[in-house]
Order: sequence, then C-alpha cells, then structure tokens
Amino acid sequence: MDYPARAIVAFAVAVLLTAGCGNETTIYLDLGTVLEPYAPPETAVELPPIEVRDGDGLPDTLPEDLVWVTNEEDPLFASPDAKRGGTFRTSILGFPLTLRRVGPDSNGSFAGFLRPNQFGPIALHPVTRRAIPALATHWAFGEDGRSIYYRLNPKARWSDGVPVTADDFVFAVQFMRAKEIVAPWYNNYYVERIRDLKRYDDHTYGVQGANAMPGAEMHASYGVGPQPRHFHVLNADWVANTNWQIEPNTGPYQITKVRKGKYIEMTRKADWWGDDVKYFKHRFNPDKIRVRVIRDPNVAFQYFLKGNLDTMDLVLPQYWHDKATGTAFDRGYIAKYWFYNEQPAASGMYLNMADPILADKRVRFGIAHSMNFDHVISTVLRNDYERLSTFQIGFGEYDNLDIKPREFDLDKADRYFDDAGFETRGGDGIRINDAGERLSFQVTYGWPQHTDRLVVLQEDARKAGLELVLDLKDGPGSFKKMLEKKHQIAWSGWAAGGLAPGYWEHFHSVNANKTQTNNITNHVNPAMDPLIMQYRSSTSLGERVRLARILEQMVHDSGVVVPTFRVPYTRAGAWRWVKLPEWLAPPTSASMFSAFANTGGFSGGGLFWIDLEEKERTLEAKSDGESFGPTTIVNTTYRVQPAS
Amino acid sequence: MKTQAVSSPHRPGASSDFDAVAAKPYGLRGRLREGLTINPQTVKQWRRFRSIKRGYYSAVALVVALVLSAGAELLVNGRALIVSYDGELYFPTYGDIIPGDTFGLDYEYETDYRDLKARFEAQDRGNWVLMPPVPYGPLENDLTPGYFPPYAPSFETGHYLGTDQTGRDVLARLIYGFRIAFAFAFLLLLCNYLIGIAVGCAMGFWGGVFDLLFQRVIEIWNMVPSLYVIMIVASIVIPNFWTLAVVMVIFGWTQMTWNMRTSTYKEKTREYVLAARALGASNTRQIASHVIPNTISVIVSFIPFSIAGGIFLLTALDYLGFGLPPPTPSWGELLAQGQNHIVTAPWIILSVGIAISIVLIMVNYIGEAVREAFDPKKHAYFE
Repeated sequence: MDYPARAIVAFAVAVLLTAGCGNETTIYLDLGTVLEPYAPPETAVELPPIEVRDGDGLPDTLPEDLVWVTNEEDPLFASPDAKRGGTFRTSILGFPLTLRRVGPDSNGSFAGFLRPNQFGPIALHPVTRRAIPALATHWAFGEDGRSIYYRLNPKARWSDGVPVTADDFVFAVQFMRAKEIVAPWYNNYYVERIRDLKRYDDHTYGVQGANAMPGAEMHASYGVGPQPRHFHVLNADWVANTNWQIEPNTGPYQITKVRKGKYIEMTRKADWWGDDVKYFKHRFNPDKIRVRVIRDPNVAFQYFLKGNLDTMDLVLPQYWHDKATGTAFDRGYIAKYWFYNEQPAASGMYLNMADPILADKRVRFGIAHSMNFDHVISTVLRNDYERLSTFQIGFGEYDNLDIKPREFDLDKADRYFDDAGFETRGGDGIRINDAGERLSFQVTYGWPQHTDRLVVLQEDARKAGLELVLDLKDGPGSFKKMLEKKHQIAWSGWAAGGLAPGYWEHFHSVNANKTQTNNITNHVNPAMDPLIMQYRSSTSLGERVRLARILEQMVHDSGVVVPTFRVPYTRAGAWRWVKLPEWLAPPTSASMFSAFANTGGFSGGGLFWIDLEEKERTLEAKSDGESFGPTTIVNTTYRVQPAS
Repeated sequence: MKTQAVSSPHRPGASSDFDAVAAKPYGLRGRLREGLTINPQTVKQWRRFRSIKRGYYSAVALVVALVLSAGAELLVNGRALIVSYDGELYFPTYGDIIPGDTFGLDYEYETDYRDLKARFEAQDRGNWVLMPPVPYGPLENDLTPGYFPPYAPSFETGHYLGTDQTGRDVLARLIYGFRIAFAFAFLLLLCNYLIGIAVGCAMGFWGGVFDLLFQRVIEIWNMVPSLYVIMIVASIVIPNFWTLAVVMVIFGWTQMTWNMRTSTYKEKTREYVLAARALGASNTRQIASHVIPNTISVIVSFIPFSIAGGIFLLTALDYLGFGLPPPTPSWGELLAQGQNHIVTAPWIILSVGIAISIVLIMVNYIGEAVREAFDPKKHAYFE
C-alpha cells in the first residue's frame, strides 16, 4: 500500500481503537508492583511436557565434563561519561495494535521497543561479535555440537521482582509450541529448530537445536529467551486477554503508562539486576522513554525541529542534505551524526530463471551490463549510497571481497544480447530476436520512493535496447508476487540478519520453482546444491568461510542477481543535549539512538545519554539566538571502500 | 420567438421541435437541403453562453490548450523537429527512433538531439538541428553527475519550470500529463454517459418493476468501494490507461442514471410524447427523438463537472500511487513529489498546484456558464 493510503488506514484503525476503548484509554503501572493475573489461573490449559523426538534429547543429568566459559575480557563499548536521567522522546508512525511480544499483530514497529527490552541468556558483543553474559553468567557446549548449557545469574529478576529461573525457559518452549498463542512461525520454529530444553536446577538448563553450528551462531539460533511463567494464563482467550497487558520483562525498562492512540511511556528500573553486569554498565541511561505516535514522517520532522523530539533518523539523502538545514543546525542546537557501520546488505534485481528468456545466461549478463547504477548514485542518490558488489555482504570474514560487480558497459551488453539472438532493434529502439520477442521485462517492486532510481536505470537501459516495464505494487503485494514466482525481475532486498550468509533458502534447487520460498530467482545449479548442504552442516568456522566464498562466487557467475545498492551507514540528527560516546556506536549498530539492544542480535544500543545541564544551556542559547557553531560528525572508522 | 417562449415555458426544446416539424422538412437531410440552419433555441443558448464572459473565455482558453497539447510533440519534445544532415532533411518527431549512427554518432540507440545540436554548431559544416521550444521530453532524465535534482527553473538549461526529483522537465510532464488527464476524463465521460443515459432512460421510461429492480441494483453497486477494487486490480495486472478507465466506468456510470431517470419520468408524460405514442411511434423513437433531445440541457450542464471530476479522479489515484504506472507523466505524481519537496523545491508543487487550480476553475466556469445558458427559467422571461 502506498504511504498516504496506509496512513489513512492506520488512522482509521486508530480512531476505531480509541473510540472503542472508552474511558480505558490510559493504562498506568507502578514500577515494582506485582501484576494482577489477567485471567483466573485455574482456566489455564495444561501444557504438555516438552516432547522430544527419537534421536534428539539432552542427557537427564548435567554432563560432568562440560567446560563452563564466560566472557569478561572483551572491551567495553559504553562511555564512562554517561549520566543517568532525563526523558528520551522519540516517535513511531502508528500506535501498536497490541503490547504482546508474540501472537497476532505483534510484528509491528513497536516490537522494536518490546523485544530488545526482553533480555535473553546471552548477548553478542557488538564489536568482537562474541558471546557476553546477560541473564546467564556462564555457558558450555555439549559434545553433540548442537546443545548449549547455561548457568543463570541468580540476581536476574522479572520487572515485578520475581526471580528468573530455569523453569521460565522450560515454560518458554512449551509456550512457544502452544497453539493458544496463535503464532505459527514460532510454533514451527520451536518444534523444528529447538529440539529439547531441560532444567537441571533452578539456575541451570540446557537447550538442544536441530543441527550443529559454530558457537556464536548457535547462541543466536538456539538462545531461547525466557517467558514469565508466573504471569501467563494460557487458554483459548489468551490473545484477547493479553492484548493490552503489560508483560514483565528482563530488560532495563518497563512500560508504565499507555495512552492509547497517543503515546507509550517506559520507565527505567531503578534497581535493575543488569546494572552489575559488566557490559551493561553506563548504558540505558534516560529515566524515561516516551514513544509518541506521529503518523507522518514530515510532521515528525517538524516536531524534531521544534525540539519536541530528541533525535531524528536522517538516512535518506533528501533528509540529510535538504531538510536538515537551517538555523537550528547552523547554530549547533542540533548536531548531525553520520556513522559508517557494518550491517549485512543484500539488495538487488533478482532475475527469474523460470522465465524462458531470462533462462539464458547471456541475457542475464547483458541485463547486468545495461544497468547504470553509477549514474543513479551520482545524481538521485547524491553519492551517499554505494554499489553493492555481490548478492550479500557485511558478514565480516564470510564476505567475498574479490567479486567485482558487472559494470555498465554498452559494448559488453551488445555482445551478450547479440549472442543471445537479440540482434536487431525495433522501431522503438528495443531489441527483438528472430522469434519476434522483444527484449522487455517487468521489474516488480514495492517502494514508491524507489521509482526515482528505476526511471534513471530505465532510460539508460533503453540505450542497450533493453526495455524495463516498471511494475509498482504496494509492499505486501509486490512481495506476494515474488514469492509466487510470478515476476520476471524482482527489485527487492533481504533483511539479512544473523551472523553468516544464507544460501540454502535463496539458491538450493529444492526451493526452486515452488511458491512461498525465498529462492525467488528459481535458481537451479546441481553443482551448487551439495556445497550448500556441506556449508549448512559444517561446524568449523574456517570451512564455512571457505565454502561461503565459493558459493558467493557461484552466485555471481550465474548472473541471476544484479546487486544494486548498499547503505553502508546510519545517519541521525540529535539535539545538543543528547550525548553519544566519542566513537558514536559499535560497528554492528543499525542505529546510534536505539534505546535498548540492537538488530541482528548484537547488544550495542542504549549508549546515549541526556545531559540536563546542556539542555538548559541549549534552550537558553536558542532563546537568545546564540550560536555554538554547526556540528556535523562523520565517523568513517568502519567504512569499507566501495568496490568498483 | 417570443410567442414560442410563452407557449411552452417549461420545455425549452419541445416548442422548436414542433416548429421544425411544422415549418421545415424534418431531419438532418432536410435541413441540409434547406441550407444549414441552426436551431434558433441553440443560437439563443450560444449567445447567452458567450455573454457570460468568464465562462466563454475559459472555454476558448481550454480549447486552445487542448489543441496545443494534442500537438505537444511539436512543442515540448526531446526529439528535434527537423535535422539537416549532409544535405538531407530528417523529421524525427513522430514515428520510429532514429539511431545515433544515422548522424555519424557512434551509438545505435536513439539520437540525443540536444547533444547533436551542440555538435553541429561546434563543427559548423552546414548541418543544423531545429529543436522544439521546450527541448525535453516528459520521460527524459536530464541529469548531471555531481549535481543533485530537483534542479531549479532556468532559462539557460531550457527547464522553464525546473525539474522533478529525477531530473525530468516539470513543464513537459505538466503538458503531457494534461493531455492524458483530459483524454481520460473525456473517455470516462463518453462511456459513463452512454451507459448512464441508456439505463436511466430505460428506468424512467418503463418504470415499474424494471425501475425498482435497477434502483436496488445501483444502490448496491454504489456500495462497492471502487478504491479497493482498483487496488486489487493493480495487484493483479499493471494498471494502464485502459484498465483504469474500464474500472472507473464500471463504478462511475451510476451517477448519471438518477438524473436521467427523473428527467425521463417527467418528459414521458408530456403531451408531445403522448402524441408521438398515439401516432404509433416505437419506444426507441419516443426515447431517441423526443425524450432525450428534451433532457439535453440536463446532460449538457453536467458535462463540464464530470470532466473536472474525471481529471480530479485520475490525479487523486496517481497521487495515491494506484493510477497510471511510472514513468507516465501525471499531475498526481507531480503533486506527491511536490509535497515531499515543498521546502526544498517549491517549483514543483507551485507549477502543478497552479495548473490544477487553473484548469479546474476554468472547467467550473464553463460549467456554470453552460448551466446558465441552458437554464429553462431564463427563457421564460420576455426579452
């Protein structure tokens, strides 16, 4: 759906919600109070014990020979100068449809505030990418290569003061497998990927996954988070009952006020158990976080300029270069930060091999050589974005940096198209082959703001005698078409999370030519399949890295993906009183002003703090018209030179 | 003429119809034999229309704009009007592309005529290129690496209203967008009125169960949210001019039926229709020759407003992103861009905002004037 239409729908939903709620629009919660049960505990269904398949299962007693490890030696990444206090004011585009962390409607943007605030057994260090303690202090790997044992921090508490124990983890698996939560994806994941979870004592448990992996990746995939066993009453009404329930969590903040349709306020727990944990020190500094609903990004930007929001995302070139200008910036009331990070990137044009013309590799190569990405970058993208060199990048060691993208070269395109039989040009300048077929393809995409980029590519592609027909659909509509494999060329990208690149879902032949799989290129290469399986089951990091680089090269050689752009940075504006560490953020950070943990499992958020004295000074200077001088900080420490 | 007006104060067309039957050979052929005389009623309406100045001048201006936009390729185009190369003349405006190698350039794709003009001038070998007054097409990206669009209006570059965010000429997109919007509105008008008038007349003429049934059908049909239908259609096929028009006609024809139904109900009980029936005229003849000509004032006075509605509809759909696919030039798309660049590139929103306002105001002026000219009440006064 296009943005304004979406805003209208969101607005209508919000109106319905607020209208339907009557006097109950505000929910308050005092920190530290024990939450009342939301349903009579006797109505709860009895959850079956965790079912274990043949061949799976953890030992009944804790193995004696486990090597318990922890990590206290990695560097700190928060600033010791950070001060606690103040309110951090930020905004979202729509009011959440629920406050649940799982279940229907829980995947909206507010999940970005709920889920990272719920800590798991371990976190990943945002610089070294190694495991660091969170709820667990120690961990050990089982000898089957696919199980991990955790020893919990006895100080760990839920928001309401109840200790976090191994039972909460056992309950988590039962809970995630229960049909009552109406979350099929989780239901499936906790059966297919999480094979067993066993309690050994109050603070020790083990978890077993489906297949072996290197250690850090196993933490990321099998590191089940706890669920508050004492809180949930799981029955047929669970989804409705918990829709507006404030759930206890293990993170530093707790929702304390909800004004439906308007804002949600979170308060810092004063005696949070994590304050003593090494890697959580000097982090999560503001006393309060207020998330306000502002339904239009342009309006939100005006709020920011007026000082009613503390920070604003400035990733889009138009915002950074054009909108973020004027007095507040010139006088340094608002500072601009540009931080090059190391985020996985995978966006491209995915050519459907099932299309009879695109099945020809020469046509695919010709298309790649007809795409003038540099022209787009140097004009509409203002030289901010970079050309992505291959299918996916940003996984550290796994990256194959030897691959160079196919460049815009009309001579090469000519040769490839001629070889493929598209030798003559029609009256409109588009090539045709002997069968009279035109060299014309639909490009399916779902973001209206990408039309800019595509029309420039479209005009340059005409020079090669190639016609691109733009097929703009609303976001879900375009993705549906791609998953049904009805597209010719898909202009899209993958939210490449995790620690290692994935190939099985995108390129293995078992996923080709069937709907609802991520192999949207319908890529089939019998030589690649065994390598993918070998990569998937290998536990040696060196072996996996070697295989990943070979696989990436094979993807490049097949030409099914024309890599497009990567945004190798995050950018934001912040009022002078919002302070950041000197280094701005750790390399894996998706955002400098994320209040909690970060995306991709790395725990790098919550580094900023609010300096209340500075706030007073800034507001005084602002009313006196005094200038601090413009502040723009660009950090290129983690910049990888663009491939070209 | 005065007596006529008195004899049938409420029936503007009826009296003249009878006169025509009585005084002159009936039908077009008869009139042609007589020399082309225009119905005095029409002459009167035309005079009245002309006397309403703002409506009349709006009509003149709009017709001129339509005629000019019909030949927009000759005025606003990236293709040259005439190229003289080695003694031969080329007219690239219409028809197939002329590849660059025709003019001694080293590429096979379409010639860049602005570049060719500069080259010819530099070479000074008697070759020349004549470009249209606005030398940019609506789809061309005029981009300079290192300079970031949208570019401000400039006489030097020939972007008289600046460019949009991908370096396309705003004036070119305005003019081609105007043409498409009008063509769309006319098409919509024609189809909606054909169906609406036919169904409405039938409902009014036959009445009874047929009328009741169709009223309910139309009421139910009106409840279908057309925007959702368009969204669904857009998710299945790439919407184009024709699919959009078909969808809009499917949901748009109902408006006209109500007006035609009431007018027909009124007219069919008039003496002249009864007389025709008594003389044995068929239903078709009664409707086509007697009822519809006498409801023409209703139809005509709705036309300008329907056109304005059609333009507005397409613009709104394009603005929301459910209209014509990119990169079709469109006002709605410019409006959406203008809104995004309201501070940084005000020329986009100003150009398209003023253009839309002017066109819609002019169409409404015309509508008012037409309504005034056809208003039967005015004819009741002695002049």
